[in-house]
Amino acid sequence: MQETGRLTIVALGSSTTAGSGASAEDKSYPFVLQSELRRRLPGAEVRVVNKGVGGQSAYDMLLRMDGDVIDEKPAVVIWQTVVNDAIRDIGEEKLAKILRKGIAKARAAGIDMILMDLPWLPREGRYPHFDDYRAVLARTAEQQGVSLFPRYAMMKGWSRSKQFTEEELVGMNGLHLVDAGYRCLASRLADGIVSAVGDIEIQTIRAESPPTD
Amino acid sequence: MPSDPSLQRFMLFGRRAESGSRRRPGRDMRIDMVRGLALLIIFINHMPGNVLSAYMPNNFGFSDGADAFVLLAGVSATLAYGGLIETRGLWIAALKLGARIWTLYIAHMAVFIIVCGVIAAAVTRTQNPLYIEAINIQPFFRDTVDALIGALTLTYQPSYLDILPLYIVLLALFPALYYGVRFSPALTLALSLMVWQGALALDLNLPNSGGHWFFNPFAWQVIFTLGIILGRAAQLGLTAPRLRWLDLAAVTFLVFAWLVKIPAGNPTGIAAFNDWFDSVQLGSDKTNLAWSRLLHLGALAWLVIRWLPAEGRLARSRVGRALACSGRNSLHVFCVGIVLAIIGQIVLAETSFALDVQLLLCAGGVTVLTGLGIFLSWYRSITTRDQRAEPAEASAASAPRPSFSPR
Repeated sequence: MQETGRLTIVALGSSTTAGSGASAEDKSYPFVLQSELRRRLPGAEVRVVNKGVGGQSAYDMLLRMDGDVIDEKPAVVIWQTVVNDAIRDIGEEKLAKILRKGIAKARAAGIDMILMDLPWLPREGRYPHFDDYRAVLARTAEQQGVSLFPRYAMMKGWSRSKQFTEEELVGMNGLHLVDAGYRCLASRLADGIVSAVGDIEIQTIRAESPPTD
Repeated sequence: MPSDPSLQRFMLFGRRAESGSRRRPGRDMRIDMVRGLALLIIFINHMPGNVLSAYMPNNFGFSDGADAFVLLAGVSATLAYGGLIETRGLWIAALKLGARIWTLYIAHMAVFIIVCGVIAAAVTRTQNPLYIEAINIQPFFRDTVDALIGALTLTYQPSYLDILPLYIVLLALFPALYYGVRFSPALTLALSLMVWQGALALDLNLPNSGGHWFFNPFAWQVIFTLGIILGRAAQLGLTAPRLRWLDLAAVTFLVFAWLVKIPAGNPTGIAAFNDWFDSVQLGSDKTNLAWSRLLHLGALAWLVIRWLPAEGRLARSRVGRALACSGRNSLHVFCVGIVLAIIGQIVLAETSFALDVQLLLCAGGVTVLTGLGIFLSWYRSITTRDQRAEPAEASAASAPRPSFSPR
């Protein structure tokens, strides 16, 4: 199956997906994830489509779900969201409802979803409701049976390990380490996807139009 | 449909009935007042997460400050440039419009550079990457060359810097829309609605880095066109006909919107309405406009025209006059408001959204913006008094002044 299979993944999100802080577009996490998956799944036609638009809320992305995700007919969508909703404090109930709608949309189209946890921040106190919104995300993911990629824990781990300084991890001065951050993120995602690849339905090439790349 | 003959005649042929009562033409204080109010609402809403934003009109209805602002932009443009077309001809008006569009473009560029600088300063000092996220300014830092070209061609608009590009496009369309309305408001409105719905069906919008314009001009021209129709009616000195049924319909719709927005979820318990309640409560489509927004704005506008007297106590009160000063200098007030709001967002986060800081920021910002409006009005009054001393200037002053004409 994997030898002839084709795996399309859509990365839906805001600036982490678009590649904020990365030194070039090909350093963004979806791009690295694509090369990583191509390397690890040599037989498969892997395509990771970057649908990140900076500054967008979960609702903005829900509106894009049809055109940007479902029309691409992916096997998996990675939804990186909630950060702008936490900053703007849009209301926890409202956020949960938007997330449920997004998950239901993907599910109805037969697309597996991975939600991405919020980033770890050096000083979370800036946004007093940050943890509450993280909790909404985790709770919704659990209730809906959607896997949540533990980005927050990962980043916190990096900061504890003293491998990088805070500025290097998130700031503007250490652009290349932000690149490194995306690389780690993508490779951990690839780990998860490759180990789950048996469960993910890989469309065979004969099933539909030939792969685009 | 409108049972009033003068309204019917205006909507179909763009002319006033000869018998209709004529209002004394003059600058309508309500336009500047509501515009000033819309500017303050936009300022408060641009600092999301502050307590006051929960009391802004978009929490109680479908439309918000932006809708009112664009509608009144249409009204003001008609009184200024429509009046100029009537008195001085299209070419003079087109030159003035061109100068105005140039001013808007330069203002947009200046705000863009200032905002980029503010964010850069904040991020390098605080190491909080979310300031970049919140304003969608990362393309500028990642690929400055592309972003700069995008900014110049209006194809890269960070968040909050999207109203002026819309306004530039709408003003460029103004002569065509104005001549349309002069010929037949009803026909022009029908065409405008068709363009909107057609663009929706075909997914038409102008490009923005990685996406589309936040304010889709193909959709928002409807509100601008409505504004031109209202402006044209005012230009002809028409008074709003006493249509009780329309008053009642407008009030009913506003109450309905309020009842729908307030609760979380579906209060009727009828499962068939679940999706509809979600769609209006989670956020109405601002990019492509939504019927609910348009109807809500229309209802509000009708009631203001009918029941807020142009020379009433509110318009003459201290608050009314202060708001009108901001409205009259809306470009300056808007631009300063954007920069203040973005600085405000950073201050809010750095102080962990402490309540006293929130209130102080809102009060301070409103004071600065109102003060700026009053100062600019005063400044203009002393400078134009000097000009009036020259006799040549007097003859050109027959048309109502543009709300913020290029100087």
